[in-house]
Amino acid sequence: MSVWPEERVTPNSDLDTVDMTVNVGPQHPATHGVFRMVLTVDGERVVDCEPYIGYLHRGLEKLSENADYRQAMGWWDRTDYLAGMCCEGAYVMAVEKLAGIEVPERAEYIRVLMMELSRINSHFMFLGAFGADVGSFGTSFTYAWRERERIYDLIEEVSGDRMFPTYFRIGGITMDLPENFESRCRWVLGSIRQGLEDLDGLLTGNEIFVERCQGLAPVTPEQAIAWGFTGPMLRATGVPWDIRKAEPYSVYPQMNFEIPTGHQGDVFDRFHVRLAEVYQSARIIEQCLDEMPAGRVLAPKLAKTLRIDDGELYMPTEGTKGEYGVYLMARGGTQAYRAKLRAPSFSNLSPLKELVVGTYVADAIVILGSLDIVLGEVDK
Amino acid sequence: MSDEEQSVEAEPAIATLVRGRLPDVPFEASKTKSYADLRIAPGHFLALVTGLRDDDELAFDLLRNIVSLDMEDEGLWAKYHFYSFKHGHALQVTVPTPPGAPTIPSLTALYPAANWHEREAAEMMGLVFEGHPDPRNLLLEEDLRIHPLRKAHPLQKAEILQGIEDGPPGVEV
Repeated sequence: MSVWPEERVTPNSDLDTVDMTVNVGPQHPATHGVFRMVLTVDGERVVDCEPYIGYLHRGLEKLSENADYRQAMGWWDRTDYLAGMCCEGAYVMAVEKLAGIEVPERAEYIRVLMMELSRINSHFMFLGAFGADVGSFGTSFTYAWRERERIYDLIEEVSGDRMFPTYFRIGGITMDLPENFESRCRWVLGSIRQGLEDLDGLLTGNEIFVERCQGLAPVTPEQAIAWGFTGPMLRATGVPWDIRKAEPYSVYPQMNFEIPTGHQGDVFDRFHVRLAEVYQSARIIEQCLDEMPAGRVLAPKLAKTLRIDDGELYMPTEGTKGEYGVYLMARGGTQAYRAKLRAPSFSNLSPLKELVVGTYVADAIVILGSLDIVLGEVDK
Repeated sequence: MSDEEQSVEAEPAIATLVRGRLPDVPFEASKTKSYADLRIAPGHFLALVTGLRDDDELAFDLLRNIVSLDMEDEGLWAKYHFYSFKHGHALQVTVPTPPGAPTIPSLTALYPAANWHEREAAEMMGLVFEGHPDPRNLLLEEDLRIHPLRKAHPLQKAEILQGIEDGPPGVEV
């Protein structure tokens, strides 16, 4: 029996409620970065939501047009800062395709390996933080951070830096893998699989977690495509579309992996697709380690100053959040005439209002968490 | 290798397909290093995109990206990237606008994804998207009326440009 009088527990009572405006962010742990949204609430219900972005806008595109092709690479690490290797990979591959530079095969394998390590890193960030959003507080974070720390150690060993490795070069990579990298990487992969099982048991095995996520903010495939969703957000709706398979680049055509998909496109499916993707990334890394050929890692006879004649291209890659596309236009000279980033989080975040309106405030936080945005990429 | 030489000269296959399906829309086709490019005047742009989206043989259902460009003497341009899940093909559409009249019809009614992309292109480059439901600044401050990605805009902090802060000595704003 409720301790409240009857009219206090009925949501549609005749009480005259007044809409209230609640500001969330930009400095708020639940917004995963400097993102701000203004919620209009009626009691616990969200009746309107207005997202505000741009707090981390650093002018990536302008800076890239004012530095030469090699210098500009450092800026691109700082877009999706949870997976720096994927970002610099996209930029470097776009420049190479524009300039017609061939990359040694060993370098391609190392690139794919590092990009998949970054993807795992980013997905672990999501799994940990999302668990915290839903209410498991420290535990999911700790499980995820244990594995992320090991991956960061590997990345640091290879490149000298943890978050912004700047490891790739136009024409290959900086330097070969360190000694004993293979055995350490295999050990980390085992640890990652253990960490995933722990997280899976903690979250998917938790009835409260599943109850809160299932059926929340479902998206149909048609809606997802109209809103420009890509990556796990699109795959959660059941569309098996992955740029690594649809428009393959680097040595991905040689890799065996599956595309995990969801059924309903709800919050739980988004969570589960990302969880399943980590296993696939681990599979790709193992194949890279098994099949990596020997040889040089940087193309020979590269020009000291890279000049590119007229040309333009759009290079889509599968970033950790979806389609991470780089548009480059060259009109001679050492600098890009135009560089444009197509950020997956940017498109995934844009229909936030449609997803959030009508839910409870606590669910709005969970929905925002399930989008897995990274503001460095949204704000450029 | 006469076949290959011919195919270099000829239109990209997807452009021929579009021409066959939409014979009333005039455009110029060319190739980029990645996708085929269709160049079209702003006046015919909406007819082309409606056709690209609704025709069964074309079925471009995903608007991936919008790029705004400052071509200086040639005016402001916009480039759109489309993808079709049904057929797996992709396309770039270029819309050049004449200098002084940077107006392009908005795609928000056809592709909801265009909303934020168009807002970004509008504030960064100064393009005007006719019919956009919410033409406010997105990444920049709400009342800032500068277009930082124009070539004439110097690489400088916004505060210096607005006269709130002093720039480094010897640098002309």
